[in-house]
Amino acid sequence: MSIEVRGVSKRFGDFVALDDVNVSLPTGQLTALLGPSGGGKSTLLRIIAGLDSADSGTVTIEGTDATHLPPQRRNVGFVFQHYAVFKHMTVAKNVAFGLEIRKRPKAEIKKRVDELLDLVHLGQFAHRLPSQLSGGQRQRMALARALAVEPSVLLLDEPFGALDAKVRKELREWLRRLHDEVPVTTVFVTHDQEEALEVADEIVVVNQGRIEQVGTPDQLYDEPANDFVMGFLGETTTLEGRMVRPHEIELSPVRTAHELDGVVVRLLRVGFEVRLTVLVDRTGEEVQVVTTRAHARALGLDVGDVVHLSPASVLV
Amino acid sequence: MARTSTAVGRRNPALTWALRLVVIGYLLMLVAWPSAYVVRHTFADGFTSLATAFADPDVVHALLLTAQVAVAAVVINTVFGVGVALLLVRTRFPGQRALSALVDLPLSVSPVVVGLALVLVYNPRTGWFGPWLAEHGVDIIFSRPGMVMATCFVALPLVIREVVPVLEELGEDQEQAARSLGAGTRQTFLRITLPSIKWAVVYGVVLSLARSIGEFGAVKVVAGNISGQSVVATVLVQQKYQNFEQDTAYAVAFVLALVAVLCLVVVALLRPSEGER
Repeated sequence: MSIEVRGVSKRFGDFVALDDVNVSLPTGQLTALLGPSGGGKSTLLRIIAGLDSADSGTVTIEGTDATHLPPQRRNVGFVFQHYAVFKHMTVAKNVAFGLEIRKRPKAEIKKRVDELLDLVHLGQFAHRLPSQLSGGQRQRMALARALAVEPSVLLLDEPFGALDAKVRKELREWLRRLHDEVPVTTVFVTHDQEEALEVADEIVVVNQGRIEQVGTPDQLYDEPANDFVMGFLGETTTLEGRMVRPHEIELSPVRTAHELDGVVVRLLRVGFEVRLTVLVDRTGEEVQVVTTRAHARALGLDVGDVVHLSPASVLV
Repeated sequence: MARTSTAVGRRNPALTWALRLVVIGYLLMLVAWPSAYVVRHTFADGFTSLATAFADPDVVHALLLTAQVAVAAVVINTVFGVGVALLLVRTRFPGQRALSALVDLPLSVSPVVVGLALVLVYNPRTGWFGPWLAEHGVDIIFSRPGMVMATCFVALPLVIREVVPVLEELGEDQEQAARSLGAGTRQTFLRITLPSIKWAVVYGVVLSLARSIGEFGAVKVVAGNISGQSVVATVLVQQKYQNFEQDTAYAVAFVLALVAVLCLVVVALLRPSEGER
């Protein structure tokens, strides 16, 4: 295990940010800390980096007790949501910073900076100032800067949070590929479940200062430990008091056993899918159902129609 | 049809011009005319009064003394000012608001009061620390340390008030990034923080310098005001004026005003270069 967090608690005044958190983050993997804003995931990351101190508990990085080490001696790379670029330095100087601090020979620094800038596709921007780069380029530079010192772990705090949707998608695919190329233990914080499911090897769901569940994306999606995890990792609706995913409810025009009758009260076409709100006769619930455009057309669905619902697979 | 865009409810031009005239007239009567008068008086007989003034060893000594005291005070205030600004912005401690308010005290207290307070504490016969310091051979009052202290006091907030907002706007991200990349406190300050606040520091230094050179009340109270020994330029102007050496008084006043204007020019030249960054 690369990072071991044991019994870590942190309060800000009356607010409990972390409450006795225990988690192990494996070496060489890409782990996401996923949870809602204010849930404590950023605080946990900052405590691992040494940028915040825990009230109690210990942090071990690569077998070394790092609890009382200052950030500069933990050998972690940290990437901030708002890039934290050194504004008065060129791109190359930014990337070289950690190596210059370590007093490496000039030739070695130059070689390493060139390699890293090529890795993040910023080779031709080496002599520009960060203010001349776009948000996505700045964040790639920040990543190269963090990787330059060959950290034992790379920590990213909402790395794509300040970017627009398209760049965000590109960058997270790029991060995944980069991690496959340079397999340094990486932990990133996100509140975007899609981002976590798409990029991470392992996801740690953090909520209200506690760890809700740890697992692979598939485990979390298919076997959520509780309603919170299920609700956070995708859309849900209730059918007969049970939580189900809207696309896992089957619709049929003909009634068979164990089915519920309902009336379509709202119908919304969004891209390739059709979202229905069905009012169930027997329970009076409004159930959300998602189906494909083709299926909806085949059934000839419209508002006011009577449909029959059955859960494809019942979870929880 | 192309039109110049204007805000809704634009004032009528006559009123705009009237307001402009009021402002210009006000500045003219209060600042420009009196300053111009000093210049006119200085050069009434060409360079004679300047030459006479600089031939007087007391004048040369007073100007040198002012320069020495001002430079010493500015150096002390710059180091202290940057330190206090970091303390106020980057740390949290009990009594922080009180300290922040205390920093502004020199702006509101009359310099004469400052001088008297220093005399009360440090005078060698009845002051709190004075007798003890005098026994150990340190003279504060009626000597240079006292003059530097008085000047430091009045110029205290200028560097701090320039640096604090810049530090606040800068945020801690860059410093934290430097720390995570292995930089210690000193390296982080020298490589990251200082380059980011350098223009604010320069601006604060220039303002402090102008303020220190012009200081009169506080320095007059703590200095012995012995001709050729402990008379600074501002006090000299007053003494010469009262001794009916008005030409010399105007000449020295002109030199002081010139330095102040140069300070402002330096600031004006620095500001746009900061905007370009």
